[in-house]
Amino acid sequence: MALTGRAALIAMIGAVAVLLAPRPAYAVLGLLLVLAALVALDLLLAGPVRPLRFRRGGERRMRLGETAEIELIVENPGRRRVRGVLRDAWPPSAGAAPRRLPLDVPAGERRRLIVRLTPTRRGDREAVAVTVRSLGPLGVAARQGSHRVPWSVRVLPPFLSRKHLPARLSRLRELEGRHPALIRGQGTEFDSLREYVPGDDVRSIDWRATARRSDVMVRTWRPERDRRVLIVLDTGRTSAGRVGTAPLLQPPGTPGPPRDAAGWPRLDWSMDAALLLAALATRAGDRVDFLAHDRTVRAWTSGNSRTETLTALVNAMAPLDAELVESDAESMVAAVLSRARHRCLVVLLTDLNPAAMDEGLLPVLPQLATRHLVLVAAVADPRVAAMAAGRGSAESVYDAAAAEHLRAERARLTARLRRHGCEVVDALPDDLAPSLADAYLTLKSTGRL
Amino acid sequence: MTLTATPPPAGAGTTAPGTSTSPTAATLWRRGRGVLAAALLVLVVAALTVLATGTNAPGAPLDPRDATPDGGRALAEILGDRGVRVERVSGIEEIMRLDGPDTQILLTDTSHLSTSDVTRLVQGRSDLLIAGPVAALSRLAPEARPKAQAVARSREPGCALPAAVRAGSVYLGGIAFTTPRGAVGCYPSDDGPTLVRTTGARTVTVTGDNGFMSNRRLAEDGNAALAINLAGAKPVLAWVVEPDREQGGTGTPGSGRATLGELIPAQVPWAVVQLGVALLLAALWRGRRLGPVVAERLPVAVRAAETVEGRGRLYRARRARDRAAATLRAATAARIAPRLGLAGDAGPDSIIAATALRTGQDPRWVHSVMYGPTPADDAGLVALAGHLDTLERQVREP
Repeated sequence: MALTGRAALIAMIGAVAVLLAPRPAYAVLGLLLVLAALVALDLLLAGPVRPLRFRRGGERRMRLGETAEIELIVENPGRRRVRGVLRDAWPPSAGAAPRRLPLDVPAGERRRLIVRLTPTRRGDREAVAVTVRSLGPLGVAARQGSHRVPWSVRVLPPFLSRKHLPARLSRLRELEGRHPALIRGQGTEFDSLREYVPGDDVRSIDWRATARRSDVMVRTWRPERDRRVLIVLDTGRTSAGRVGTAPLLQPPGTPGPPRDAAGWPRLDWSMDAALLLAALATRAGDRVDFLAHDRTVRAWTSGNSRTETLTALVNAMAPLDAELVESDAESMVAAVLSRARHRCLVVLLTDLNPAAMDEGLLPVLPQLATRHLVLVAAVADPRVAAMAAGRGSAESVYDAAAAEHLRAERARLTARLRRHGCEVVDALPDDLAPSLADAYLTLKSTGRL
Repeated sequence: MTLTATPPPAGAGTTAPGTSTSPTAATLWRRGRGVLAAALLVLVVAALTVLATGTNAPGAPLDPRDATPDGGRALAEILGDRGVRVERVSGIEEIMRLDGPDTQILLTDTSHLSTSDVTRLVQGRSDLLIAGPVAALSRLAPEARPKAQAVARSREPGCALPAAVRAGSVYLGGIAFTTPRGAVGCYPSDDGPTLVRTTGARTVTVTGDNGFMSNRRLAEDGNAALAINLAGAKPVLAWVVEPDREQGGTGTPGSGRATLGELIPAQVPWAVVQLGVALLLAALWRGRRLGPVVAERLPVAVRAAETVEGRGRLYRARRARDRAAATLRAATAARIAPRLGLAGDAGPDSIIAATALRTGQDPRWVHSVMYGPTPADDAGLVALAGHLDTLERQVREP
């Protein structure tokens, strides 16, 4: 049960009555009895909450930054009208609005309510409980009860870097020689012979074939297809650090980290880059697998058809969060080696953290690099770049020295990785996805896949 | 896929009737009956304890009803057993109603009696037993004037007063009095007797202290004997105590001095009670939550740059100019070497020579900037950073 403001108001007005009453003690007692009677009557006449029936519908998955509508159908099988308020409780980061909905369901009817979710984080959000407060006819007291009406919404990574996709796809078409500009395809795999059309690069004329036929023939090339790309996402502690500024505007008043720490975790930037790479690679005819690992395998998708790859990837990524444990590079390499039998491009999305890399990845990297082509991609911190440029006061120069120290360490680490035959992409958060895509296209055009 | 519990397909009907998570009345009863039983047990035990120990009305010191160590219940009971009518009185009207030659008035405190009340006491016919220092002593017993303080301890009678002689040594002290002519002084201290009795139209007995009458001291020495001899001298003892607080304004003597409590109408306290009820209801109204509190696992919020900021602060705290300068110089060298067409591991001499050639600066100055001594102070470090920037800019845009 629950009381309303009216009960308190009646008691307050009663205080004035007590002031004027000839026998105040009896007045107080009488008022208490009257109030108790009103509350009891109201509770008796209020529509019951327990027999209410609920059904849900609406979105099952959504991208971060979008708003989804969840509908809640309330059916009142009882004989009394249920009038009051309803709260559909979701976790705070689901951003459910409005917080409470007015409810008025006549006996034997049903009503449809809409709750809008604007999540502030990735992951699975589950409905907790539906609570109904059913007011009595006098509005003094209400019956209250909760129902469990399960529903879960998977909040997918936003894939903001898809704006870079058209430019990369057009570069890919250039590689494949299918570009309208009719320049010679830069691929390395012989595709076919076709007749010369004006505008073709004369260097691609195949004279031997021309001699055999009466027409001038040109060779066309295309990049290798059906290669394998394995994206490995490090979900260890180094991925938890927040970098840059969150590209999605957080509505004010939402729970979460304070404003000054409101960047995005490295993990999310890495996911964004991984999604662009996956989208590009599937269009280029390569097969994309995905592995998330810290001390154990956290997610693994493989063998998806080209059209389903991206969906499978966002689904696997959505519930991932950075764990506060040191990543186990040895077991990661073992996991990769056991899963990737053929040679493939292993894209390792991690942080170039000298301490963690020295003891973790570097000792086991040769095992991986001998069988596969390894590309290490890391998010650089724009704050470090800003600190390195700091001048003017002693404080900022000391900070600049610290930032330069870190950059020198990263540069040394990059050099060591390159000596092992790895490709390294170290870019600021906003540039990571396009840089990684460009690195992939370069590898593809040079036939190193 | 880890999506949980798909909803029932449309048309399959509603969710099962058991979706309610609120406890039913039966559940509440099952859950709460243990607590209820425990509370009931505690109440019963407390009630039994109170009944077994009996009532113990607390009051002012030397109240005939009070059984605490400071009370006078033991003396009152003994006197009652010996046939003395002990009347517990407080108001002057009550006292004067008992006034007569067969009555003795016992005063331990006169602070609640007004001047006119004391005047009526002085004019009365009863004997007076004044125990301990009372405010109106100079008017009630003008002959016995306080002379000095005396330590309360066991004293010998040292006089011919029968009541004192029979009692023997008594725990007495408080005030030493002057002994007026015609009066008897007993239990002398160094400065004078601590018990004085004047006899005339009425007998007035004054003691310097009333501790010997209390429950605590009554059993020691001859305290009980002296107390009984003094207080039981007359068939009726009017034992004056402070008026009980519950008696309210009506019993207070001196009708002109109404307290604040008397001036407030009786309705006001009840209206306050009613307001309290309203407040309680408002608290229940606002305090009732609509549904559960939803907890959630929050992600860590650590800025990745924190370690770098920490290192910068360490440099600053230790004034590590050597490390800071070396790092900045190395970073500049690493950046300008490729622009000068040198390998990354080129030696200082080749870098200095190439830089001086490109920028037209004095090689000695370039050397002092790139490989010179550690700056002596923070200002030197700031200046060095500026010089390195200048050099780098000049190499980039000769």
